[in-house]
Amino acid sequence: MTLDSGTTRAQFELDDRGFDEVPRKYRKFYRKWLGDDADELAPNEVLCPVCKVVVRSSRELFEGDRIYCMACMTRMRVVRVNGRLEGQVEY
Amino acid sequence: MTEDLHDTSPEAFDRQVRSFSFWFDSVRDYLPSEDGRVLPPDDLPESERDTLITILCSYVIGETMALDGAGALILSAPNREAKIFLATQAVDEGRHLEILIQRMRELGVSDVDAELKVRANPFLLEFQKRLLQLTSAGRWEHALFAQNVILEAMEFATFHHHLGRADARTKAILEGIVKDERRHIGFGENELGRALRRDAGLGAELSRLRMELDYLVLGSFEHTLSELRIPQDERPVLKRSYLDAVERLGFA
Repeated sequence: MTLDSGTTRAQFELDDRGFDEVPRKYRKFYRKWLGDDADELAPNEVLCPVCKVVVRSSRELFEGDRIYCMACMTRMRVVRVNGRLEGQVEY
Repeated sequence: MTEDLHDTSPEAFDRQVRSFSFWFDSVRDYLPSEDGRVLPPDDLPESERDTLITILCSYVIGETMALDGAGALILSAPNREAKIFLATQAVDEGRHLEILIQRMRELGVSDVDAELKVRANPFLLEFQKRLLQLTSAGRWEHALFAQNVILEAMEFATFHHHLGRADARTKAILEGIVKDERRHIGFGENELGRALRRDAGLGAELSRLRMELDYLVLGSFEHTLSELRIPQDERPVLKRSYLDAVERLGFA
């Protein structure tokens, strides 16, 4: 996928990882976080700071993107902190 | 272009996640039921039975408080979506209360109220009185802060920590409760985050309330953590998850 800015985003095929806290059709957008030592986020994933669930998108995430955590109903913007993408709660 | 949940508008997202149908579709696969998911068999060692009963007494008080609070908050909620969400939360709290009492009965408790009288966490009882005052006063933001931020964050942190060392049956119960708590915490934090943006004076009022309640919250933590025999060096981690929530809202 190419954005208006000319930046290309990688696309991802999302699979159901067994996250059963949201309606079935949205489960592929979430997975459990295994902790700092055991988990590494992919370019299409961000950790929800409110409930510590991994939020996933079908495309690579960039700073400024809006994402939603359905597990805790939080809206976020993707920000870069210490080189890593994180979700910043947007009230 | 691939259809992506995150392309939804913020308004449509808020409307959807606060609906009863969203709630039902979310909880249907993790609730224990007669024909579907069942709890694992009891493997609790007899030597740990008494301790677990004491801990469950605190949880029952907490969930009773949360049920009363969620029900009372419906009256002062500022819009229909918030009222509907709180109705789903009240159902969650009622289910938690029921399943925790059922667990106490499985452990041999015949008179739950009698056990609560002798084993109750005094800090939690004091918090219960204060929460009732706040919800009765009808001040939406103050009561929501005490209920959905402070109480829910306290429960979330405690249950999350407990399930890591619980027997299989209690663990399965707590896992289900923690899944519900995520929604309650998120609702409280998001509602208050927006209210704080609209009302510049609200932050100072809630900071004072937080300082007043911190004594009871941290006292309650200490009491429950002692019952759970969690080592001193692990306790700051648990308190941290509570403090993170209040700090995100600007109450450092």
